[in-house]
Amino acid sequence: MLRLRSTAAPVLLALLGSALLAALALWHVPWKQGFVRPRTLYDHSSARALAPAYALLTAAALGIPQGASVVVRAQPPDATMETWYHRFAVALLPGRRVLPSAFYLGFTAPELWQEAEYLVVVGPRPSPEPGQLLFETPDGTVWLRAR
Amino acid sequence: MAGATWLAALLFLPAVGSPLLAHPAFGRFSFASRAVLAAGVGAAFLSFAMTLLALADVRWGVALVATVAALLAWGSRAFLRGEAQTAAPEPVRRDTAERFAAAVASIAVLAALAATLGGAATSVDLVFFWGAKAQQFAAARGVDTEFLSDAAHQYMHPYYPPLVSNLFAFATMAAGRFVWTCAALTFPLGLGALAIGLPGVLRGMVPARAAAATSALIVATLACIGSQADVAGNADMPLLLFETLAMALLLRPDSARASGDLLAGILFAAAASAKVEGLPFVLAATALALVLRGGLPVERGKAALRLLAPTALSLGAWFAFGASHKLFYEYSEYGRFFDIHAEHGPGIAAEILRALASTGRGLPYLIPLLCLIGAGRRGRMAALPLGTAAALAVFIVFTYLHLTGDPAQWISWSAARVFAPIPVLFTLAAACPRLARRAPEPGPGKA
Repeated sequence: MLRLRSTAAPVLLALLGSALLAALALWHVPWKQGFVRPRTLYDHSSARALAPAYALLTAAALGIPQGASVVVRAQPPDATMETWYHRFAVALLPGRRVLPSAFYLGFTAPELWQEAEYLVVVGPRPSPEPGQLLFETPDGTVWLRAR
Repeated sequence: MAGATWLAALLFLPAVGSPLLAHPAFGRFSFASRAVLAAGVGAAFLSFAMTLLALADVRWGVALVATVAALLAWGSRAFLRGEAQTAAPEPVRRDTAERFAAAVASIAVLAALAATLGGAATSVDLVFFWGAKAQQFAAARGVDTEFLSDAAHQYMHPYYPPLVSNLFAFATMAAGRFVWTCAALTFPLGLGALAIGLPGVLRGMVPARAAAATSALIVATLACIGSQADVAGNADMPLLLFETLAMALLLRPDSARASGDLLAGILFAAAASAKVEGLPFVLAATALALVLRGGLPVERGKAALRLLAPTALSLGAWFAFGASHKLFYEYSEYGRFFDIHAEHGPGIAAEILRALASTGRGLPYLIPLLCLIGAGRRGRMAALPLGTAAALAVFIVFTYLHLTGDPAQWISWSAARVFAPIPVLFTLAAACPRLARRAPEPGPGKA
């Protein structure tokens, strides 16, 4: 004659474990900001260093026309960040020709991107000014390049 | 408005899968479970339909894609000919433990939602490739080969399986534009679907209370890992949803019938079409399920066909598309299959442990393991999730061993996510009914 063994202990363990992990998940929520929506999807993530580029490129999408060519630079220049910025620009500026100033963490040859009509600079305003300033946000500037 | 339409397009998935799930053979599932299973089936068929249309060079349209997918779901009922109607589950009144489990699961889903909306859980891969591809595919009304073959876009992994990009493209076509926040919300949405659907699937294997507790632990584990390893908007949550449901289906005592195998097989296809590591999961789980079930070779052959054919068709269509456009012929990028760098082995092990330990202090991996140990000796079906977990771990380490350089950085940002199915499999193994022990025979005076 066979009988089922008690399931109480495994159930109790699972319930306690789930409660602890749910509390841990709650602890990860950025409560300090209150119920104010963050500027970007990345403000409190492990990729928060890319949040300014996300915000600037989202704004730039409204000012850079479809079909235009564009390059995104970091100020000061940084091959690693510009690799990520290029990828962000491909996604956030659809319909534009996004030229890479860096690729796989190394700078590309300037000939590859020098003809870009628009320049997005993440960080402080560059000097000398690279063209006509279209707009500026706390995250950077967008330029129509002098040609 | 575009955001609401984008999400509504994904909430339409149960309708796409419902022609199959409406079959009376699935009456044994609760309404909630049936709806979530229909969403999984709908996702698999929708992506398959989009891949087939791309292969046939037919432009995508929302109505066309949805109709073809629903027809495929309807057509798959042919494999259930002769399957008897099954009785609906007995309505149960929830006890305190079940109510507590439901509350914990709800809190975990809300935590995932708050973390996503709070900008604390989104994956960069959403912008790097899943969303970028989907947006481009929606604009091109198909898989944009020119975009994928551009040398500047090779970081998007053109060969990656298409399900997530396809589903996002479908929602984008419906909404008129890609909505990044909504794509990120697929993490809490998928987790919510699991919280709703999993208890009913597990109730076929264990009592309602154990089913609720097991589901709560899985949902809380994934909420914790997902928020801290930033999975919102990438393919990890869909993969985990499909894998968990398929494994729970295979663990049910009634799984070894055409309807159970076909349903698990379609969810396997969805998993294999979501991420590369879905395929080893499918192969390992199928092989173990067939071995553990036993039976005649003919029966096993039929079961293998039902479990694997959807994956073969789904990935076959994708690779046929890649080959016909000279885009890709295999999963590639990290070197040839047997070009491994064993000298990295110790470093890889240390780095994996470091990555897991830094995600919720390792607790989302440790607690399910402790629950498994605390549950004691399980029945033989526990070998199915445990064997699959072992196979998946070996595959992941094998993949890391392929990198020529130091894989430490790669591991640091991927291990927490790609190992996430393993604590889920531990939890499912812990829930497997224990081997029954022989009860004492009643004595002469007790008979």
